[in-house]
Amino acid sequence: MKDEKLAIVTFLCNWCSYEGADKAGNARLNCPSNIRIIRVMCSGRIEPQFVIQAFIDGASGVLILGCHPGDCHYKKGNYKAIRRISLLKKMLRQFGIEQDRVRLDWVSASEGERFAKVANEMAETIEQLGPLPELKILN
Amino acid sequence: MQERIGVFVCKCGPNIGDKIDVDTIVNEVKNIDGVVTAKSHNLLCSNDGLEFLKEEIIKGNLSRVVVAACTPKMYEQKFMNTCEEAGLNPFLFHMTNIREQVAWVTPDKILATEKARKLCLAAINRMSFQEPIEKKEIDVQPDVLVVGGGVAGLEATLTLTAKGRKIILVEKDDSGKTETTESAQFRRVYLVEKSPCIGGVSARFEEVYQTMECAPCMLSPELQEVLQKENVETLTYSEVEEIVGSFGNFTVKIRRKARYVSEEACIGCNACFEPCPIEIPNQYDGGLSKRKAIYLPYAGALPNVPVIDRLNCLHLNGKECNACEQACAFGAINFEDEDRLIEKNVGAIILAVGSKLSDPTQFPQFGYGKYDNVLSAIQLERLNASNGPTGGKILLRNGQEPKSIAFIYCVGRKEKGYCSGICCMYMSALAHHVKEKLPDVKIYSFYTDLCLPKKEHQKIFEKVLAKGVEFIRSDGSEYVDYDGKKLIVKYKTESSVKSVLADMVILAPPVEPAKDIEKLAKLLDIPLDEHGFFSEEHILMKPFGAPLEGVFVVGTCQGPKDIGDSVAQGSASAGKILSRLMLGEKLELEPIVAEIDEEICCGCNTCIGLCPFSAIHRDVEKKVSVIDDTLCRGCGTCVAACPTGATKAKNFTMEQISAEIMEVAK
Ligand SMILES: Cc1cc2nc3c(=O)[nH]c(=O)nc-3n(C[C@H](O)[C@H](O)[C@H](O)COP(=O)(O)OP(=O)(O)OC[C@H]3O[C@@H](n4cnc5c(N)ncnc54)[C@H](O)[C@@H]3O)c2cc1C
Ligand code: FES
Repeated sequence: MKDEKLAIVTFLCNWCSYEGADKAGNARLNCPSNIRIIRVMCSGRIEPQFVIQAFIDGASGVLILGCHPGDCHYKKGNYKAIRRISLLKKMLRQFGIEQDRVRLDWVSASEGERFAKVANEMAETIEQLGPLPELKILN
Repeated sequence: MQERIGVFVCKCGPNIGDKIDVDTIVNEVKNIDGVVTAKSHNLLCSNDGLEFLKEEIIKGNLSRVVVAACTPKMYEQKFMNTCEEAGLNPFLFHMTNIREQVAWVTPDKILATEKARKLCLAAINRMSFQEPIEKKEIDVQPDVLVVGGGVAGLEATLTLTAKGRKIILVEKDDSGKTETTESAQFRRVYLVEKSPCIGGVSARFEEVYQTMECAPCMLSPELQEVLQKENVETLTYSEVEEIVGSFGNFTVKIRRKARYVSEEACIGCNACFEPCPIEIPNQYDGGLSKRKAIYLPYAGALPNVPVIDRLNCLHLNGKECNACEQACAFGAINFEDEDRLIEKNVGAIILAVGSKLSDPTQFPQFGYGKYDNVLSAIQLERLNASNGPTGGKILLRNGQEPKSIAFIYCVGRKEKGYCSGICCMYMSALAHHVKEKLPDVKIYSFYTDLCLPKKEHQKIFEKVLAKGVEFIRSDGSEYVDYDGKKLIVKYKTESSVKSVLADMVILAPPVEPAKDIEKLAKLLDIPLDEHGFFSEEHILMKPFGAPLEGVFVVGTCQGPKDIGDSVAQGSASAGKILSRLMLGEKLELEPIVAEIDEEICCGCNTCIGLCPFSAIHRDVEKKVSVIDDTLCRGCGTCVAACPTGATKAKNFTMEQISAEIMEVAK
């Protein structure tokens, strides 16, 4: 049960990526069990603070999935997410958190396979990085 | 008060039951502080299951409910309704997905159980921050503003006003006797048309594809009906000046331009035209005929009340002339008339301002404006019309009949970057009409691609071919020259440069946005697309909804299209409005929206620019941002950006999401 220790907090937007994850289930595709899903309305809802909190609370990775660029149910939420997350990644480096521990990507409502692929890739990346060393600065 | 939380885990038969150790989870969560009931059920979404849930809520006096089952996309609403039936606000319920996102993707039962357990703990942890959300209803105006009186706007107007609603009021007086009163309620439509008449561009055509019927005959009953309907206020020669408010409650200011002819007194005898000494080219005939300073756009235009063009009228420019006033036996001329600003309250707005054909001088290779007999298609339409400049005769400028005509399709398509979609058909139809009138005329039709997408198109095209029209495919590089007697159309085929001689050349320039579409877009703060037409919210799913709630863009102002498609959009937009702005009813708003605490808001305006639906504005006096509930769709983008935490996303608050993170991150 080694991967149980490496929690990956996964934010899915309600419209595309959440349904994409459901499709992976419909197709009975294997997804790593440390992918722990939280539903939000749009990837634009994700505050950098959520990501930081996830690391403080013990997560080893954070995966944020939204609709493909141009497909956001609210038109531009995912573009806002791109800006916020890329800025956040730069900051995380200063705290000694590898950038690969945060991934922002796109999965459409029909892309069950893509969801499973991204989830598995993320789990592999996190397995290689291992658990996050204790975050003295953040605490 | 301590919350009384109930947790219900569905086994979904074997779907969850065989993959996850449900009993272990139930036994563990039972012991969590605040959880008073934790139970499993074999199929919670069944009628039995829902009944069981309802009873449990009532019996346990539950104040919060967690359901761990399939995806919320399937039965979340059903469970919410059950909560409501049990007297619990549906937003005090939360659903977590342990089927699609756990049981079905995790083959190892131990791992699946552990993941499901974490998700249940997260949902339970969220419960302390769950807040009831009340359904919000607002008073709305059922009346509608329609801008543009072409086929699209007319159809919308007629659909919206087709039926009123009978309101039956039952009242009890003090003695307990009931009295029933019946009254009828009607929706009003304000139809604002910029030109002096309604009907739009198609009312000026003699015959239209696909039926090849007379357009004025086809439209006349509709025009009459609109003008006579009591609950339609037709405001011709008028323009919208200001729009404020939002879906359900817009206030619009309309400028009624001075007509100088009383609509009440004028009987439409047209005796005033003849004596007017002014003659200027009539833009409604493509400049092929002259009109007076007091005029109707074309014979038979409705309403049949002329206007005086104040730029050209002698009297209105300080000169001695009152010829029309003298000719009018009904005292209808009123030189003292002034523009009036009127205000109307409406719940929704339909923009149907149409489009125009590009000015062909933009494409100088065709010699338009340089050679007399090079005409735009709209001019040929008018030559062909029995109420047009030649009474329906196809004549050259010198009054003779042409012996040969070249039709050039796809003019300016490359430059514009889009196909106008209607030219192939109307050009073919025009060629057909010309052939009917002048059977011996030689017609060449130059095209680069033929666009014949609808079920009747091919048939019409074949009919035109059978009439002997010669179709010539070229590469779009045609140009027009003149040898002093005849026009020469030069064109390239795959192998060589060729030419034909013609007496007349007809151009099909691109359909482009109407002149003041930009002004309207600014009034409403809605976007235009890359070609300058109104943008729709979603080209496939909401093809005529503007990206602003309660505003619709129909007909050719949204992009080139034919009459049938314009009418369909007009009707469909009316349907959308009828289904939401019900007579005598309130409008129910989306419950999951964002809200701003004005005590905390620092007035930085960050959120205003981020909102994709223009739902946030600044309260200038209080110096804070305010969210309009009727426009907010609850994406939460503004919440994520708020530097002070003043903005809250209902049902997805900072606290709720944090509570989930806390459990799943462990
Ligand atoms: C040459 C030609 C031939 C055609 N032949 C055919 C055919 O045979 N068959 C066919 O199906 N289709 C044909 N079409 C297409 C057809 O004309 C259009 O599909 C149809 O007219 C679109 O209707 P509409 O209501 O969107 O716009 P329009 O008919 O253009 O009407 C728009 C109205 O809005 C008014 N308006 C503009 N700006 C404002 C403003 N700011 N405020 C208030 N009012 C405003 C205009 O004065 C006008 O009355 C042809 C088009 C052209 C150009
Ligand atoms: S709704 Fe999916 S990213 Fe905005």
